[in-house]
Amino acid sequence: MDAVGHEITAPLLVRVRKSRGGAGAHRQPFVLDVSLEFPAGITILFGPSGAGKSTLLDCIAGLLRPDTGSISVGKESLFDSAAAVDIPVHQRRIGYVFQSLALFPHLTVEENIGYGIADLPAAGKQQRIDEILSAFRVAELRRRKPSEISGGEAQRVELARSLVTDPRVLLLDEPMTGLDDDLKAHIIEDLRAWRTARNIPILYVTHSKSEARALGDHCVHMHSGTTVLETPQLSPGPSAGF
Amino acid sequence: MSPLWLSLKLAACVASLLLVIATPIAYWLAYSTWRGKFLLEAVVALPLVLPPTVLGFYALLAMGPAGPLGKFWNAAFGHGLAFTFGGLLIASVFYSFPFAVQPLMGAFESVDGKLLNASAILGASPWRTFCSVILPLSLPGIVTAVVLCFAHTLGEFGVVLMVGGSLPGVTRTASIAIYDQVQSLEYGQANRMALVLLLISFAVLSVVYAVNRRAGRRLWTPWATK
Repeated sequence: MDAVGHEITAPLLVRVRKSRGGAGAHRQPFVLDVSLEFPAGITILFGPSGAGKSTLLDCIAGLLRPDTGSISVGKESLFDSAAAVDIPVHQRRIGYVFQSLALFPHLTVEENIGYGIADLPAAGKQQRIDEILSAFRVAELRRRKPSEISGGEAQRVELARSLVTDPRVLLLDEPMTGLDDDLKAHIIEDLRAWRTARNIPILYVTHSKSEARALGDHCVHMHSGTTVLETPQLSPGPSAGF
Repeated sequence: MSPLWLSLKLAACVASLLLVIATPIAYWLAYSTWRGKFLLEAVVALPLVLPPTVLGFYALLAMGPAGPLGKFWNAAFGHGLAFTFGGLLIASVFYSFPFAVQPLMGAFESVDGKLLNASAILGASPWRTFCSVILPLSLPGIVTAVVLCFAHTLGEFGVVLMVGGSLPGVTRTASIAIYDQVQSLEYGQANRMALVLLLISFAVLSVVYAVNRRAGRRLWTPWATK
């Protein structure tokens, strides 16, 4: 249990079905239909584009509403179509780093990181911000705006901003797209350190086998909206194209 | 009160009132997924295409002794609404409505959706997201809306004439005064007041363009929807 009584090793249970129509220029009809349990540690979601990885993350975060099914963390239900439970996004306590950067452009790095812990008392809030800025080696950027930092620095600030809120589940959607190998190595190091410190389910979407091997405790292969293979660690996978 | 001061007072009141009234409507229009919202968009844009005399005519009917607004006002305050500053204010608010709603809506829509998602993911309620993310990032649109409402009210003629007439110190605004002066062949006085309105309008539009240029995008221009 953490300081406020939350069970921090609770697994994430996802059993959802979500269909999307084929409206729009290039959209194909698509059905996400999965039943998965994500234990504490890093689970790699692997699969080709359009496999439903981002859709799955959006459903877990509450940004998309599944047609049917349930999502829960331990005993707490986040979504249950049968029981008409649908906890709003801002009350789910889930961290999410998007594929493209989403730092608030009008706020400094420090203000961005403090955004998710605005309700904490000032002293405790500042301490948390200082700690996470140091942990992710971005302390010297605290007064800068997102437009004044590099892509790699922004990615680390994004990670820090998500983790400072002490989420019970962390969703990472290709967080290292476009970064060079040195920066990736630094961020992988940061994530490993965090995984050791906080024993929570982390879902990591990537196309990179090197990232998957470096980080993954478990691996889920997805294809066309369904799970095709679950493995303890990354394997070559059942189909070409992964 | 001089016609120019009356115009400035009316413009300031309209701009302030519209900022309060138009913001929630623009927010709803920007983010609602209701299929029929185009109907409300059309209603909001009506004053852009209606002749001011048409709007003024219906406003006068509504504010007259037999009109619903006039009856309500009489019951509440003991006097009529037509040919008063209050009546002028209400009619002007309707007349300048699209000049407030459209720039605000454009500004709200231009805020990147992923920032709104990020805010919610970080635990912010919709209200906090509005105050901490949408409003600060929409500041150029808000300035544009206020300035355009001010300028548009300053220059209105038809609606003012229909609803307010030309009562000195009460409803005789600068544009009405210029018209009256031209009718009585006082070109010198008309020219002075017209020049002041011209300079104010130029200054106000310069502010709009400077703000838009600084924001790096053109949120709205007076002729974009005309």
